[in-house]
This record gives sequence, structure tokens and C-alpha cells, in this order.
Amino acid sequence: MFTIKEFQEGFRNKEFSALEVTQGIFKRIEEKDKDLGAYLSILKDSAYSQAAAADLSLAKNEKLHPLTGVPLAIKDNILIKDTNTTAASKILRNYKAAYDATVINKLKLAGAVFLGKTNLDEFAMGSSTENSGFKITKNPYDPERVPGGSSGGSAAAVAVGEAVAALGSDTGGSIRQPAAFCGVVGMKPTYGAVSRHGLIALASSLDQIGPLTKTVEDARILFEAIKGKDYYDSTSIDISLKDLDLENVKKLKVGIPKEYFIEGLDKEVEKGVQEARKVIESLGLEFEEISLPHTKYALSVYYIIMPAEVSTNLARYDGIRYGRNEISDSLSELYFKNKTEGFGEETKRRILLGTFVLSSGYYDAYYIKAQQVRRLIKNDFENAFEKVDVILTPTTPTPPFKIGEKINDPLAMYLSDAFSMPTNLAGLPAISIPVREFKTKDNLPVGFQLIGKHSRESDIFSLGSCYEEASKSR
Amino acid sequence: MTKEPIDKKLVEHLADLVKIKLGENKKKITEDLKKVVGYFEELKEINTENVEPVSGGTLLKNTVRKDEYNKDRKLLAEPAVKAFPDDKNGYLKTPPVFE
Repeated sequence: MFTIKEFQEGFRNKEFSALEVTQGIFKRIEEKDKDLGAYLSILKDSAYSQAAAADLSLAKNEKLHPLTGVPLAIKDNILIKDTNTTAASKILRNYKAAYDATVINKLKLAGAVFLGKTNLDEFAMGSSTENSGFKITKNPYDPERVPGGSSGGSAAAVAVGEAVAALGSDTGGSIRQPAAFCGVVGMKPTYGAVSRHGLIALASSLDQIGPLTKTVEDARILFEAIKGKDYYDSTSIDISLKDLDLENVKKLKVGIPKEYFIEGLDKEVEKGVQEARKVIESLGLEFEEISLPHTKYALSVYYIIMPAEVSTNLARYDGIRYGRNEISDSLSELYFKNKTEGFGEETKRRILLGTFVLSSGYYDAYYIKAQQVRRLIKNDFENAFEKVDVILTPTTPTPPFKIGEKINDPLAMYLSDAFSMPTNLAGLPAISIPVREFKTKDNLPVGFQLIGKHSRESDIFSLGSCYEEASKSR
Repeated sequence: MTKEPIDKKLVEHLADLVKIKLGENKKKITEDLKKVVGYFEELKEINTENVEPVSGGTLLKNTVRKDEYNKDRKLLAEPAVKAFPDDKNGYLKTPPVFE
């Protein structure tokens, strides 16, 4: 089980070839994935070609990219040209991507290897991957528990070595929460830092693609490869990455928001986060208690704005284009048949919710009100960041829950993203890091979250790396 | 905000607008929506007078490009037609719009 860094060293020193590693990983997938369920589709032939090309580049002494030959898993809401891209929805079960997402294009140019597409909650809506239209993914630490969601497949694959690293997407916590549940690193960039061109849109003002990896350093490498202003995404921006050395990391002030350490927080999770805090304190950083007063309203704000955007973004899946699984001579019947058969329950629920909050008579009371409170949530962070540089919180309120436990109670499910949603609403970068050398009483991993200032990915990567170094030597 | 705006009739109307048939799920979905929308009542507690609503996720304004033909865009037309469920001679086929 390699990290990206370990792969780079071994590959460049010719200890192994990219092809050997790729073959080894496919063997592992064959052994483990029928139980784990991380992958929806495997791309063996193209992966072998990509790996062979990487080996050839090395043999010819060509200039290599940090990701040359690195085997990656890709969440199935990111388009890879001519491959089946389903967003884990029956309505797209036969859809073949017409183009490469910008992030895929960048990774192809870098010489990376794409192993396959991973499972997710349908259209990235969910916190457990149970909403997938095709299969359940299990938590690598306990097969009766969920891996989190919606990037559950990517998180599980990285955790068990079915990929060296993976891409996921995060709209309300969909990278960070499954990362915490599976004991891996998961990072959501500043809004706009990574192009959304070729990401099947969920909520356009919240979505971001990001890395899931074993280490913070790996996340930084993968982020650097996919970031950048893109002609095809007019909301995209350039982020500069300048690593901070330990001296400068020590100067970062860490804020602890009291609203995240409340009664609903699981005691084991709190214990884990305090362990992480102690390690960071031992590095010499200063801590300060801060307040983000509108934190508790983030759930309402998110579940008004996100379904509203979803109802618009999913209108295109109408049985006319992308997928026509039911045919009819009547246009109206075609719409009804395809959508009714193709969309799962949670998807239907959110489309209805979104349609409701945008409808005349309710628009001001719900949608506009939510966007106003969103402004207040953004202001909370801005005010806090005048006093501190990084904010530390638990990633999730609880450890991984059991499969089936929350699926019939949407509100309970929504609450599992309570600590991750605010950062999407505010457009800030955030990373979830597993608390090293710590497991709950049930032997489950716990993640803590570092939230950075807008476009200050360098701060959270550098602090995160220092944390990892320091927690090794304890 | 009105109390309890969600009822069976509204959910049926919304389902009709969205073009999905709810079937036996109708009762559960109505209850779920009632619960979730009821949760939103807490937003009433907050004073949002003179607060500018957020619009979108970006801080950018007026991102524009030149109004010029970009030959790279042509590459999208062919694969897009290929990905369309039914086509004939490069035309996209759908059921009749007017019956």
C-alpha cells in the first residue's frame, strides 16, 4: 500500500514499474471489492496503456510529472471521455461521457493512471453512499457501517489500497466526512480553485472536486496537479501554493469555535480531536477560543439552497438527452417514465424540496432568507479570521454509523454534515485529517478538520503536514 | 414563513411540475418534506434586515471572454451528438413536440 510519495520514489528508482503496481492493485480489487463495493466500473485496458506509457517515459528519460504512473480512483460523477459515467444514478446507467473533465485532462497530461470509477450517493446527494442507485459500499473498518458519503467509494478505495489516491467531490462535506469515516485525508479546495468543468453538477455555488489520500503531503501533490483557472469554468481562480516551514507554521493562530464542541458531539470523537489538538499545541502554536454564532443555522441554510440548485441542475435529466431508458410516443409520458424510474428516493425528495423553496409565494421566505443567513455565516468566518489563521473542529459529530441506521430519517442523515456544511456555504478551503494513533472504543477512525482563510490552502496543508510529522514521533 | 405549508395537495402539485410520479412513496415523502421544512422555522429567529443575500459561490464579477469563434468548441459537437440517445444524420431525435 503506497502513498503517492512512496510510489514516486520506488518508480523513479526502478524498484518497480507502474505496470506492476497497477496489476497488483487490480488483483487487490478483484480480491476485496466484491465485499467492499468501492468501485462501480474498472478501466483495466486503458489503465494498463497509461501505466505502460508512464514506464516508457521513465525509460526514455523524459521529464516526469509528480503524478506520472500514479494509479488513481475517480468518483463516478467526474467525466472520463468515452467511459460509462453514471453519478450512481439509474437514469445515467448507459451514459458514455462525451468529453474529459478538466481535472481528468490535466491528470492525463501528467501521465496518471485511472483505475476505475468509484461508488457514490446518487448525484452526490447523501452522507453514507447508501443512496447509490447500484450498490452499497462498506466501511473498511467495519462492514456493518457506512463509509460516509457521498464520496464513500473513493474514501474506502484509498483506505484499503484499492487505489494510491482518489478524486472526490464536496458540496456539503462529501469528501471530508467519508475521509473521516474511512481514516484517510480528504480536502475541499477554496470555491473555484479546481475547475468544475466535467463534474456532474449538484449545487453549482457549493461543488468542488478534491483529493482523497493517505497523507496530507499526498493531498497537496494531487491538489497542485488539478488546480487552476480554467477557460471552461468561469467561476475558477488561480491559487498559489507556498509551503510554510515549521517556523512559519508556529506563527499560525488556531481558533477553536465553541459552537462545534457542544452536547451533540460524540464523546469518542471529542476525545480524538483533543488528542490532535495536543499534538498541534506541542508544536508551539497559539490557540484561541472563537465564536461562529450562526453555525447551527447552516443545516437549514444548506438544505434550502442546495436542493434549490439541485432542482435546476437535474432538470436536464429528462429522458431526452444523456439517457433514454424508457421510450414513449408522448413527450410528457417520456419525461414522467424516465424520471420516475431513473431517480432514487433521496434525489426525488431534494428535487421536490428545491422546487418548493423556489416557487412563487415561498421564494422570499425560504430561498432569499437562506441566502441572507448564508451571508451571516460567511461574515462569522471573516470576523473569526481577523483574529486567527486556521480553525480546528471535529470533521463529523459522530463516528461512522451503521448501514440502515439513518436512511429512513433524512434529518438525522443531514446532521452528519453539520460541521462540514458551513465551509461550503462560505467557499473556504478545509481538510479532514485522521487523528493518528487513535481509534474509538469500537476501533473506528476519527477525523479532525482544519479550515483555512479563502485561498490559503498553503496554511492548512503546511499545518496538516507538521501535525502528521509530529504525531509519528509520539 | 407560513406554518405547515407542506400538505398532500402541494406535494402532488410539485411532483406534477417536476414530472415524477410518486406512487406509494407519496405519504412518506410528504412526511419527510413536512419534517425538513418544519426544521427551517428556526431561521425566523434571525434578524436579516438589510442583509445582502449571497448570490452564487464565487467572489468574481463579470467573468467574460471575447465574442469570438473558438475552434476547440467544435470538438464537443460530434461527441455530444454521439452521446445523445437517438440521432439520425446528425439530427437529434425526440418524440413529437406537437401531437
